[in-house]
Amino acid sequence: MKSKDKKLIQVALYGMDERTYKTMEMFLKGPCKGIAVVVDEQNAEIDLIDADYIKARDVLDERQSQTPERPIILLSLQELSLSGTIYVKKPVQSPDLITALKQGNEILHGGKVKKRAGSAKQDAEPKVEPKLEDKTESTVEEGEADKKELYKEQQKTRKHRTARDLTEVGFSSYMGHVDGVDFSDPEQVLLASYNPKNHFLGYVKTAIKVAKEKSRILQLNSGWKSLVIFPHSNEIWLDAGDKQLRIYAGLEIKKNSKNSMSLSPIDQDAFNFGEKMENFDDIDAFIWKLAIWTSKGQYPVSIDINRPVYLKQWPNFTRLVVTPHAMRIAALLIDGPRTAMNLADALNIKPQYVFVFISAAKTLGLLGQAKRNADILTVPPEVKPSKSKGILSRILGRLRGE
Amino acid sequence: MSQYKIIFTGPVGAGKTTAIQSISDVEPIKTDAAASDMTKKRKSATTVAMDYGIMKLEDGEKIHLYGTPGQERFDFMWDILTVGGLGLILLLDNTRADPFQDMQFFLDSFAGFITETSVAIGVTQMDLSSKPSIDDYHKQLQKSDMKPAVFAVDAREQKDISLLVQALLFTLDPGLEDE
Ligand SMILES: Nc1nc2c(ncn2[C@@H]2O[C@H](COP(=O)(O)OP(=O)(O)OP(=O)(O)O)[C@@H](O)[C@H]2O)c(=O)[nH]1
Ligand SMILES: [Mg+2]
Repeated sequence: MKSKDKKLIQVALYGMDERTYKTMEMFLKGPCKGIAVVVDEQNAEIDLIDADYIKARDVLDERQSQTPERPIILLSLQELSLSGTIYVKKPVQSPDLITALKQGNEILHGGKVKKRAGSAKQDAEPKVEPKLEDKTESTVEEGEADKKELYKEQQKTRKHRTARDLTEVGFSSYMGHVDGVDFSDPEQVLLASYNPKNHFLGYVKTAIKVAKEKSRILQLNSGWKSLVIFPHSNEIWLDAGDKQLRIYAGLEIKKNSKNSMSLSPIDQDAFNFGEKMENFDDIDAFIWKLAIWTSKGQYPVSIDINRPVYLKQWPNFTRLVVTPHAMRIAALLIDGPRTAMNLADALNIKPQYVFVFISAAKTLGLLGQAKRNADILTVPPEVKPSKSKGILSRILGRLRGE
Repeated sequence: MSQYKIIFTGPVGAGKTTAIQSISDVEPIKTDAAASDMTKKRKSATTVAMDYGIMKLEDGEKIHLYGTPGQERFDFMWDILTVGGLGLILLLDNTRADPFQDMQFFLDSFAGFITETSVAIGVTQMDLSSKPSIDDYHKQLQKSDMKPAVFAVDAREQKDISLLVQALLFTLDPGLEDE
């Protein structure tokens, strides 16, 4: 323990209330990969001061007179260039803080100060606006580092809403329905597919892919509502409510239409979200529900309906819309591959519920399709209730009853 | 007569006491003491003996919820505790230094019990530290060929803990009826 700590940069924190202090401790441990550890004043190698604290000036003077050789990092919302200090812009981004800590460490050990990265700056350096591409950490983490950011984060109500667990009754109105398909007809049901590429979903997915590859904040211009993708924090911002999105999701977008889609880079600082913090959503939760509204109970054409599918991993259900029977479907598909129709039979549920789950899971990349003949030839085991079924289903009833 | 129980485990401060509190019908018996020495820096109270709560079912049946104390790393009590248990809820704190190591430790410690029954994993404090991600946990688990449910949970949210326990139940028996 001791020897492990030795390699870590020892920092002392100033001008922070208890909560911020704790958050910073965790921020160093987590997002900053444990590069530094918080120690008391006497043992610190570097001082970290929240310069927005009312008495920050006094603290700074005191630190500089007591331990003049000790590097000082200033955290502030405003750009600061005070002699002998390293500046890190708030909300603090872990790459910036890591760079600043490394700089401080080099000063300590007599090394030359390397070129800065991110927005961690040495004083007297020319002003360079931090480039968006430099930011690689999520705003969720930063949000905790700063009260104002925390407040903003809390305004993202859509993102933090607890998962919705929908029953069959509530779900049919949530999901919407497809005209002209009789799902009780075994022939028709197999034809009930849709192509995500002809829907908003397809465009959004492409946009997310590009934003992630380029590591850039991108706006999807669709001639509809403004949609912005934040790849670093895995967030999406859409200037529309769920009701509007649900309707738009179900529409087919005609190829060669005048409103062709395009992507444009966005400057985070310049972009005006107005009051609409609640329009933020987690990317996964967003495309999961978008897939539900695109599918409306149909399956995606890229799935061969006659071949078994399986789940690569459990969906993170606490942060997603839990569609009817989704947990049972997931548990079965984790066990082994099955065809959609076999699932519906085994669980004795409408095929729409299987299709909608498959759509959502496929969109998140959690679904695989069996290729080996063995998977197709062997009949999946019957779903047999286990011995303690009685007690398990009663516990389930109790949990769901609330 | 055998008693039905679900075991909650995980490292210090992962949220075991809070999680049991979230779904227990009776005010759980907490055995928290003011934390001393090691744990003091992290939190003001820690569980020294065991957490215990009860879920009452409609027919009067009781499900006992046990939480292992977080301070002890391994204890012979854990073996006794799990006898006859329905399954394991493993809670991990995402702000700890090495949550994967924590995960491995508890999966190893309860390996026998998990093989006999099942496990569902809840990752807490993701609001404070979003890394490692849930996907990262799955990648880690794949190395040991495991595919348990891993959910981001806030132990203070009854809904989150409820979904996690439901995942455990469906893992035990996918054939469970919904209604
Ligand atoms: N911010 C945040 N706090 C949480 C979360 N989950 C639990 N907590 C808090 O974390 C603290 C620790 O939770 P406990 O339930 O005492 O943890 P424990 O596992 O019983 O700890 P020991 O008994 O010491 O092993 C409590 O203050 C909880 O309210 C979460 O997801 N986010
Ligand atoms: Mg406890």
